[in-house]
Amino acid sequence: MEVKMDPLFLALSYFRRRKLQQCSDICTKILQDNPYDQAAWSLKTRAITEMVYIDEIEVDQQGIAEMMLDESSIAQVARPGTSLRLPGTSHGGGPTPAVRPLTQSGRPITGFVRPSTQSGRPGTMEQAIKTPRTASTARPVTSASGRFIRLGTASMLTNPEGPYINLSRLNLAKYSQKPQLSRTLFEYIFHHENDVKNVSYEENINRKMCFFSIDNCSFNKNVMFYLQALDLAAQATEHAQFKDWWWKVQLGKCYYRLGLYREAEKQFRSALNHKEVVDTYLYLAKVYQRLDQPITALNLFKQGLDRFPGEVTLLTGIARIHEEMNNISSATEYYKDVLKQDNTHVEAIACIGSNHFYTDQPEIALRFYRRLLQMGVYNCQLYNNLGLCCFYAQQYDMTLSSFERAQALVANDEEQADVWYNIGHVAVGIGDLTLAYQCFKLALTNNNDHAEAYNNLAVLELRKGRIEQSKAFLQTAASLAPHMYEPHFNLSILSEKIGDLQGSYTAAQKSEDSFPEHVDTQQLLKQLRQHFSVL
Amino acid sequence: MSLFKARDWWSAALGEGEEFDQGCLCVGDVDNSGTGHDKVVVGSYMGMLRLFSPHAKDKTSEGGPAEALLLEVQLQNAIIQVEVGKFVSCSDLLHLAVLHPRKCSIFSVSGTAGNVEHGDQYQLKLVYEHNLNRTVCNMTFGSFGGVTGHHSLCIQSMDGMLMFFEQDSYTFGRFLPSFLLPGPLVYNPRTDSLLTVSSARRLESYRYETLAVATEAESRQEPDQPLKTGAKRLAPDWTVVLGEQALDLCAPSFSHASSSIFVLGERNLYCLRDNSHIRFMKKLEFNPSCFLPYASVTDGTTNLLLGNHTNMLLVYQDVTLKWAAQLPFVPVAVRLANFPELNGVVVSLSSEGHLLCSYMGTDPSFFSTPKVDAREADYEQVDAEMKKLQRFIREASRTHDILPKADCEEELMVTVAVSSSMDSPSRSLIQDIDGLSVPSVTVQVKVRARSAVQSPKLTVAIQPPLAVTQDQFVLEPLGVGSSTTVAFSAFLHGRYPAADLGGDVTVSYSSPTERNPKGVPRVLQARFALPLALLCVASSPAKATKLKITVDTNQPPVDLGAIFPEFSAKSQDKDGNSLAFQFLSGAKVTLLASRTSQRYRVQSDRFEDMWMVVKELVKRFDQHFSKLGVKDFKKSFSGPVPLQDYFLCVDRHFQLRVSAQQYQDLLSERAVQFRAIQRRLLTRFKDKTPAPLHNLDTLLDATYSQVMALAEAAEQNRALLEEASVRLRGASHLLVLLLSLWQSLSPEQTGLLEAALLPLLQDTPQLGWEECCDAAVTHLLRSCLSQSPKDQATSLAQQGGPQLGLPPDTARLKKHITLMCDRIGKGGRLSLASEAGAPPPAQLPGGGDELDLPQEATTFIKKKQASKKAKRDKEKDKEEESRETAEASVGGAEEPVKEARREKKESKKDSSKEPKEETKKDIKKESSSSSKEKRDKDKEGKVSRKPSAKVKEKKREPEAADG
Repeated sequence: MEVKMDPLFLALSYFRRRKLQQCSDICTKILQDNPYDQAAWSLKTRAITEMVYIDEIEVDQQGIAEMMLDESSIAQVARPGTSLRLPGTSHGGGPTPAVRPLTQSGRPITGFVRPSTQSGRPGTMEQAIKTPRTASTARPVTSASGRFIRLGTASMLTNPEGPYINLSRLNLAKYSQKPQLSRTLFEYIFHHENDVKNVSYEENINRKMCFFSIDNCSFNKNVMFYLQALDLAAQATEHAQFKDWWWKVQLGKCYYRLGLYREAEKQFRSALNHKEVVDTYLYLAKVYQRLDQPITALNLFKQGLDRFPGEVTLLTGIARIHEEMNNISSATEYYKDVLKQDNTHVEAIACIGSNHFYTDQPEIALRFYRRLLQMGVYNCQLYNNLGLCCFYAQQYDMTLSSFERAQALVANDEEQADVWYNIGHVAVGIGDLTLAYQCFKLALTNNNDHAEAYNNLAVLELRKGRIEQSKAFLQTAASLAPHMYEPHFNLSILSEKIGDLQGSYTAAQKSEDSFPEHVDTQQLLKQLRQHFSVL
Repeated sequence: MSLFKARDWWSAALGEGEEFDQGCLCVGDVDNSGTGHDKVVVGSYMGMLRLFSPHAKDKTSEGGPAEALLLEVQLQNAIIQVEVGKFVSCSDLLHLAVLHPRKCSIFSVSGTAGNVEHGDQYQLKLVYEHNLNRTVCNMTFGSFGGVTGHHSLCIQSMDGMLMFFEQDSYTFGRFLPSFLLPGPLVYNPRTDSLLTVSSARRLESYRYETLAVATEAESRQEPDQPLKTGAKRLAPDWTVVLGEQALDLCAPSFSHASSSIFVLGERNLYCLRDNSHIRFMKKLEFNPSCFLPYASVTDGTTNLLLGNHTNMLLVYQDVTLKWAAQLPFVPVAVRLANFPELNGVVVSLSSEGHLLCSYMGTDPSFFSTPKVDAREADYEQVDAEMKKLQRFIREASRTHDILPKADCEEELMVTVAVSSSMDSPSRSLIQDIDGLSVPSVTVQVKVRARSAVQSPKLTVAIQPPLAVTQDQFVLEPLGVGSSTTVAFSAFLHGRYPAADLGGDVTVSYSSPTERNPKGVPRVLQARFALPLALLCVASSPAKATKLKITVDTNQPPVDLGAIFPEFSAKSQDKDGNSLAFQFLSGAKVTLLASRTSQRYRVQSDRFEDMWMVVKELVKRFDQHFSKLGVKDFKKSFSGPVPLQDYFLCVDRHFQLRVSAQQYQDLLSERAVQFRAIQRRLLTRFKDKTPAPLHNLDTLLDATYSQVMALAEAAEQNRALLEEASVRLRGASHLLVLLLSLWQSLSPEQTGLLEAALLPLLQDTPQLGWEECCDAAVTHLLRSCLSQSPKDQATSLAQQGGPQLGLPPDTARLKKHITLMCDRIGKGGRLSLASEAGAPPPAQLPGGGDELDLPQEATTFIKKKQASKKAKRDKEKDKEEESRETAEASVGGAEEPVKEARREKKESKKDSSKEPKEETKKDIKKESSSSSKEKRDKDKEGKVSRKPSAKVKEKKREPEAADG
């Protein structure tokens, strides 16, 4: 039996249940009958915003322009341990690159992919542009605002009848006077108008060859919209006699997006004086990270923790900074604190697991990953990691079936390549070189930029005695991933063996650049120098 | 993400297609049984009111939900909210308040003990109802004003009016200020105030007293009318800015002193004290759907049930997560209830009407990993399959044949027909060039399908400067036997002659198979040739020209008019032994037939212009004589090959590439400058205390215009480069043709030459014609054209080399080409047969990050030059050549290297110490397709030459040649 209900009420109910599309449809109908219904207009605005909402705190990716025109860093050559830019050698007793691979920007691979794990900071614009454009390198995105990663599922938005709100016709001053409309409108401008089309999010827990979440977010941001949002926020703050912390935070967000970090810092500080809210701490810490002041950010997080003890997001923030600064052991401590507060925190479990893996405790890592599996994380990366853990924990029976599942779950070619690479790795471990050879070939078939596979394939080719092939593969690996020391070192050894001492020396030097503590490289270099001096 | 699921104690699915929301669930001892056991009341948007008394499943396994259902009533209107409370005056019994969109009814529920086994009988009796004249949204109840003993109701309407009812009487109504959309509403008994979250995203607290004395709502029935003056304006007691909309509010009163207000926002959970100070807050990393605070056993803390949109039920103690349980649905409402068998059961309701009574237990969560399609391992079969696959792999890796087998039968037939006459009027984009109208010709492509194909697309590829009116066609899906035709016109679209009159038609389609309904993608190609008349018109022969090419035949001369009928018609010369082609781009080519001998002469001012005519001539001769039935028709070219004219073309192309490189460098330099200025300006503008700009803006403008001018110049250069590369291609074609006529090369050999001189390549900043061609020619010289088999062997062993890059000049390339022509002239056989087994060069062009420009090539080139000129001396020549090849293939055998070294020492005394690096690079470049084996490196140390010595060496070349 049909019961008549008020459409606006129904829309509100749908909104509460997050049936956003239905809510927006009903509001559209109401607005067709009565275009001046502010309640319906506001509800629809909220629904549309909610469809594309991304927590601003998770948005972090620097574009080229931001990187190059950034003059807000304090010191170009920072003291060790005070900057994110120069990931120093690990001072927390973390694993060396020989054990734990590095990303292109020189940090150890983390257990969880989040927006900022991929950003590298190149020195010049040319370098930034010329970084190889593979699907999974640290090449910065070209747009000014970077990528938007959203937790949960992302909605696609289609608006066939053109833009819903024509911002150019809006009298912002009028709206800023109406507190019941202005906040909704602001969020709409901020989140919706910069056109987040499609975003992806993947959890990533991995070994040796970290997976990167796929860069298929396209967006097209217009600074104009931020300026408009800024305008609205400024007028609204004025209207609230500068007493509304929320508007100050929004002003800060706008300044942040516009790259005016000092102004953003001022606004966030002011908002914190007014009212202490978790979000404000997070935003402010983000500003400090962008300003390359990780220590200040850490202090701020700790201050926030005094006010909000046990806040998971603050703890995670601390752990992430420690991880980025290559201080893995304290990062792990903080991740453990996170787990004390929220024992279902995937990121913490994954990071602790990967840390155990790289510190040679695959059995313990296996327990963490198994926990994730029990919690319902069901993806290719997890099985990949499980497979490797099983292998290193000598549970060979599980290894192959884990990889089999990982194969069944792959979402794209890069993942497929990584799974094959790992199987190849296992094959090398059990001595089945033919299988290893084929696996690495398959990895390359799926992802032609897989530097690690090139490297390992080169070693196998060398065993077969095909020096030229091997050399070509090593050179390719080195050009694809200049941050890895293995191809350089291998090339150096190879050249040394065939008598090309000069080539060996240059390669060894490159290897030393990317991994200064590597003992074998140093020995080789020493030997070569001796040789040269004899000559 | 949880380890465990909520343990199912009792559940029911309510109705079909009914909708439920937040207010639709309430628990309480609604029938006043006095046992303290709760009943569950559920109302739906479809107007169904249900009353349940759940009990454990195992007891009434046969009854199921029906057993627990005490009452089911269909009401007239939608049920928005149900509440249990003391709503009837002079009665301490609990009654049920049901809120409809425009009505609020109070029912009493009574149970009569049945006297037969079938159990109790329940009745619903209407006590009173209020008809409302506004659409309402939600309600709250409580002992407003501190009245004890019974509850009053407060109903919020959709337009922001709060209506207060004291039992069966209406007390007053108030409009909330600056209202837009209704938020959750709750009564806080401790402060006797009503709490709501307004559209301004603030938590607002209104004291009941303030509400009572504020302006009467009836006075502003019209919401648009302004407030009456004098009346008391309604203002909140306090407000807290949350910055987000709230989903739910709760002001629970537990026994202990900590009195808190809980607000469930969209992104955060707040806990506030009654005086609006935040006790704690928690940022939620998911979308919450409902919550319920309840008393905790630990003093000073509150427990909280929180449902979210990822089907989870979370239990928090303040901010610490204590338990997480998986639910089978997204809960819209959650309550705690005591039932006869079990106390503290979590009752949750989904939007679709799934009612679940559950408790926390350690049942593992439902998620079980789906099975991978693991086959039963039949080891014999697996072994056989493995063997089979390995055989395949072995075969594949041996033959390098990764191409799929061609289908025996093509699904599509593509036929291309070029119209024999020109279009009239012409459809070309440029109407005329220098007074000559540009013709166009229609090409018809007919596509016929033998079987059904999906999404066929047709693309036309044609070499510039030729262009077509449309180069992409999306065709309709074709059925069996159907066909479709598309037509387009081709014409000249540029002021230089084309090098190639051929074009490609590519049809891509997918043919569905049984297992793959989407279809397997396939591609089909067809070629077509455009008529020469597109490029040129007949004109009067020119007598004096710079260049001549003579083609000999062994047959009596033929009438040129017969061979070129379309041109002879307009030609003035009727005797048929001269013909002139006026190219639209300006060049004129004359074709003369000797009256007596069997020779034909092509003359023109530019080498590359002749290509089209010579090609056409050769082609038509072949056709003509095969039509006449002449078997042993031979044509030949007596040489010498006009290499100098060819090199002009190469030089022009090279020069343009160099200038393109220069433009690029300049551009990047200017761009760096531009960014630097931008950065300084930005600093200036961001400064709080404005500083003078110091003319930075002028500088910015100037740099900008420089960048623009440079970009335009680069663009122009690019167009010129395109033209030059087309000309170069034409010239290369002609060269190959002449070489093959000259030495009467077989088609395979001609193919090899073509592959060497005409790489399928477009000029890019990273890679261009010169280095590709050089690499290919060097390879030819080193492999099949080299005279010593030893060199051949060593050169084949070397593969993979340094990256190709723009050479500093073309001298080396020219020398290599000259050498190649010499060797061919001396009867060198072009054949790569010996290499068939060798793997292809494993050259992987890198990221192209850096084009390391090679330094000036030095000694080796010089040597080659010498050998070329000294070719009369047979004996010496041989020796020389062997040396050269040894050097060209750097890293050859020790012997030649030594010799070369010795010779160098003789010829050049000035060669002594110099930068090692330079030579290293030289050598690397030199052996572009060879690798840096260790032997080159050995040599490096000793053989070294100053780059400054280059000029001198060049001057001395003739001397060396004499010696």
